[in-house]
Amino acid sequence: MSDRMGAEIDGVQTKIWRWASSNAIWVVLALLFAIAALLSDAFLRPVYIFNVVRQAAPVGIAAIGVTLVMILGGVDLSVGAVISLTAVLTAVLMDGQVANIPLAVTVALAAGACIGGINGTLIAYNRISPFILTLGMAVVVTGMTQIYSGGTARGIVSPGFREFFNYRIGGIVPVLALTFLGLALLGVRLQQTTKFCRNLYLIGSNPQAAELSGLPVKRITIFAYALSGLMGAMAGIALLARSGVSSTFAGRGLEFDVLAAVILGGTTFQGGRGGIGGTIAAVFVLLIAFNLVNIVGLDYNAQLIVKGAIIIIASSAYIYFKKVR
Amino acid sequence: MRKLITFVGSTLVAIGLLSGMTVAADDARVMQEKQAAEMVDTTAYKKDGPYKIGVAAGYMGNSWVVFTLQHIRYEASLHDEITEVLVTDAAFNPTKQVADIEDLISKGVDLILYWPVDDKAIEGALQKAKEKGIPTINTGGGFVDSPSVTASVFIDQWNLGEMVARRLFQDMGGKGKIFAMLPIAGTTAAVDQLAALKEVMKEYPDIELLTAEYGDWNRAKAKQITENLLQKYPEIDGVFSPAGQMSIGVAEAFDEAGRLGEVVMSPGDEYNGWLKWVRANNQGGAVTFPTRVGQESLRLGMRILRGESVRKGMKVPSEYISPGAAGVYAEMDRPDDWWASELPEEWKPQ
Repeated sequence: MSDRMGAEIDGVQTKIWRWASSNAIWVVLALLFAIAALLSDAFLRPVYIFNVVRQAAPVGIAAIGVTLVMILGGVDLSVGAVISLTAVLTAVLMDGQVANIPLAVTVALAAGACIGGINGTLIAYNRISPFILTLGMAVVVTGMTQIYSGGTARGIVSPGFREFFNYRIGGIVPVLALTFLGLALLGVRLQQTTKFCRNLYLIGSNPQAAELSGLPVKRITIFAYALSGLMGAMAGIALLARSGVSSTFAGRGLEFDVLAAVILGGTTFQGGRGGIGGTIAAVFVLLIAFNLVNIVGLDYNAQLIVKGAIIIIASSAYIYFKKVR
Repeated sequence: MRKLITFVGSTLVAIGLLSGMTVAADDARVMQEKQAAEMVDTTAYKKDGPYKIGVAAGYMGNSWVVFTLQHIRYEASLHDEITEVLVTDAAFNPTKQVADIEDLISKGVDLILYWPVDDKAIEGALQKAKEKGIPTINTGGGFVDSPSVTASVFIDQWNLGEMVARRLFQDMGGKGKIFAMLPIAGTTAAVDQLAALKEVMKEYPDIELLTAEYGDWNRAKAKQITENLLQKYPEIDGVFSPAGQMSIGVAEAFDEAGRLGEVVMSPGDEYNGWLKWVRANNQGGAVTFPTRVGQESLRLGMRILRGESVRKGMKVPSEYISPGAAGVYAEMDRPDDWWASELPEEWKPQ
């Protein structure tokens, strides 16, 4: 009897560890959130929690697209430049007129998708290293933004645009936060149910085998990069909606935040692994790390040390939970 | 598990060691004043026109610099003896700026105005220019004392910080809790503004500095940091934020938290987005960070080429503009990322 009970307990323990193993980054997020809530009750206030979700929107939205190309075995370093370009482009095309909003948003999304499409086409047909190609594209897009804007973030945001995205439903949930969560859920759902996403994993795991088995590798590559560009454009619009832009380099450096989130979330440079869910959890891990040191009130230099340590500890804990079976 | 504990333990020990490090205080201000007052013998640079002017920009990617360059071009247009203005952009790359300066020398410019990415990295290239009889003028936000630099035309960040702090404390009635929103940590702007703030605070014992934060001249980051501070501090009576583009992010965060009414914003600068906010809220005002530093720099350069004796450091003074007057300077039909200036309309960036 006691042997059977012991076996059952072992079985439950194994199941818990298995669950923790396959959801490692969520376990890390839950632990970090619990620590944050212990240190500051701000993390228990719904208004603040949704503020954090809204803060995460630009990086989080861009990270969804980059996750797709990294599952494919690629990378997209042009996403920061795309964010800057599309934020400036949207503001310029709006020109302070409400009637211009649909055109501005459509052109910005098209520009992002187009840049991503060019990345994808060059990678699919020329087999250039995605790292080098998208780095080069980042430089090109930055140059285009500078020429287009003349070095100042020209453009006037239409009245109502930022007010709409920052409006809090029920006094708590900003529309922008809801949009981000909606896109994240949509991404996870598509990843689980569509043939396109299944093919991304197949190509990422073994590109040669995928090609030999007749998968349309080139078409999928182009489409994945175009999606990454499109999500980059959405991130640019989200950045403009959240706080406006005060320079033509609004998205500078965000590509590294995006990459850090994608990799911490379990999607590797080798491809074929990971997913959007992990990326979203990692976006919040990184953001809470920043907000926590800020909110606890550490001196700036101590903030850097502790923030870096949180990231290192989080990634170590992630590996630990992953390995335990 | 033991490995994880060991790892976490060692990381915490490292944190403890690093946290113990302190930043040495810098009292170079008095020395700087003395160096800036020294006179430069310009006889070696004296030459007749026509002149070719070189501008070695460390970067062109922000609106303040774009306006500063337009001031240089405008001033050049007022001098018949200036035939050409050659501009290079190093795009934040110190190595490229070295090459740019060497290019300008080989193209036979008579004067080099520059703003650096890294002062030390370009010393050699500037020295080459000086050896060929080309004066070099550092233009922008700080004074540089180096044998390779003929003169600096600059805005005194310490003085600006002092003016902003005094006005803020007056507007607060001399008491209350504040936080400081500063530019990138370690820059002259951040170091000098914080030093000035602390100096003025000695005269106002009832002002308490809650924390000094670094928003990197980034509106979104300043907003995010302020959102966190609003959670931590139930009482914030004032904000020291000399840079207008960050002040807007700060003010927005207070507004969204429903706490704008409790806070006194310090003067920002003449960044158009901030001036629009001042106009709408009739508070804060501005302490200028004048883009005409570019114009003054070329004027000084022309004096050097004429062989006139000049000071090693020439300050372009900041001025306080009250909220009522600052609102008048706001250009409502222009973008936020724009600067109030006295440039003629046709010389403003297009």
